[in-house]
Amino acid sequence: MTHYFSWSLTRLEVLRTLRNKKFMFFSVIYPSVIYLLISGTQNTTDTVPDTDLTLQAFFMVSMASFGALTAVLMGNSERIAKEREKGWVRQLRLTALPGRGYVLSKIAGAGIVTLPCIVVVFLVAAGVKGVRLDAWQWLALTGLIWAGSLVFAALGVAIGYVASGDAVRPVTMIIYFGLSILGGLWMPTTVFPQWLRSISEWLPTHAYAALGQAVEMGGSPHAKDIAILCAYFVLFAGGAAWLYRKDTLKA
Amino acid sequence: MTTTAAAPTTARAPVVSFEHVSKAYGDVRAVDGLTLDLRPGETVALLGPNGAGKSSTLDLLLGLRTADSGTVRILGTSPQAAIAAGRVGAMLQTGGLMEDVTVEELVRLVCDLHPRAHPVGEVLDRAGLTQIAGRMVNKLSGGQEQRVRFALATAGANDLIVLDEPTTGMDVTARQAFWATMREQADAGRTVLFATHYLEEADAIADRVLVLHKGRLLADGTAAEIKAKAGARRISFELEGPVDEPALRSLPFLSALDINGHRVRAQSHDADATVHALYGLGLYPRALEVAGLGLEQAFVALTEAEEARTA
Repeated sequence: MTHYFSWSLTRLEVLRTLRNKKFMFFSVIYPSVIYLLISGTQNTTDTVPDTDLTLQAFFMVSMASFGALTAVLMGNSERIAKEREKGWVRQLRLTALPGRGYVLSKIAGAGIVTLPCIVVVFLVAAGVKGVRLDAWQWLALTGLIWAGSLVFAALGVAIGYVASGDAVRPVTMIIYFGLSILGGLWMPTTVFPQWLRSISEWLPTHAYAALGQAVEMGGSPHAKDIAILCAYFVLFAGGAAWLYRKDTLKA
Repeated sequence: MTTTAAAPTTARAPVVSFEHVSKAYGDVRAVDGLTLDLRPGETVALLGPNGAGKSSTLDLLLGLRTADSGTVRILGTSPQAAIAAGRVGAMLQTGGLMEDVTVEELVRLVCDLHPRAHPVGEVLDRAGLTQIAGRMVNKLSGGQEQRVRFALATAGANDLIVLDEPTTGMDVTARQAFWATMREQADAGRTVLFATHYLEEADAIADRVLVLHKGRLLADGTAAEIKAKAGARRISFELEGPVDEPALRSLPFLSALDINGHRVRAQSHDADATVHALYGLGLYPRALEVAGLGLEQAFVALTEAEEARTA
């Protein structure tokens, strides 16, 4: 029987990611640094306009989501594009692992590395900025932000297949900053003009951040946000699978 | 040659079969109606000038590309199914290696993925990688990288091993060591197909040589047969006294004649018959030498003849 998923490959993907110091810096340390920079300008009692949520807690969730997004998006897209170019994907096609296995291992490998990004931001927020939440909230936040990052892992795979060579980095950057800022990861969308808010509402990053914010405010995530994320996951993963097939035919 | 272990029923089935396979890229017909079978245990060299369709043929064989028409089968199944079943090992020129991992980690991964894998230590040892098992893959020399690719191609009990220009980047010693290892694979009953542009390798190693030209099979036989097909034996001798050129020209099977004083050089499709007829003329050739054309010359002669024919 062919296996559709390889732990060996996932393990090795995680291992090589941990060895990549530049990547570890950008995905693990960088979100915490940005968190401290942004939240440092606010006092600890200010709240997000129209809500009871403190800005400290708001930014904690935003930056944890942002960090997870960075890790999976940057990690997957550039690496896959590079591996396609170097022919590693071709070589891997000559093993018993089917293409789906490669894509799934990539998503899983990126997903595992996301956890430290999230946890480090939480530790910094709790330790330095004194953010306090119930135990269930910490757990739910970790789980949701982590699960939500898989949507962007799939997007990363898709970008890795669509762009190649020098184009990958700028394409990833534009999508990454565009989604982060417009989705409200860097500032609450309540400060946006109305027309921008209505666009933002439908972005995966907005739904992603909203998952965490709902939990922070003591509620459960909105069905609409979950539905949006599921729809994007299907879109990105389907796109990645389609692009992979196309790549098989020509490369 | 003695065949023992293989089951009689499967031993008859071709390991590889191409039936009227064609593949075009735009107007270029890379593979043009190719039909061929590889039998179990054969070591086959695939030769052809650049652009002859060697890489396309290997890509089609390995299911990396899909044929426009015709069928490619490995052991009676599709290339993808054969690869998934761990029947095929391949070393591609264009095959990259994973970075930021050690040689051993990479080999272990491919062993883990192989349904009928050999122990990792054995694979490393056979490829001569034990000494550098802990080195990072992206820090290897070209020859070492080729050895890693070889390890990946021989990670398990494959029935078919496909090698595309396997010794590129290796020095002479490494090349000899490589082919010695490859011989063991062939002796173990595996079918080996390799593309090369070192013709002496094809001459020394292959049981069978396929010459590809413009996507079509130009010649298929042993190296000796290919050389013979190219009109390929060289006869040289010296004659005492005046040389009777018309008489020499009348010798049978002659494809070329060059007279330089007393020295005569000729090429013949059937050197035995030509020499026999030479004595039949009542001549007494001295310093007679009969030698085969190298495969390289035969190959050039064949492809040039084909160029001339199709031009």
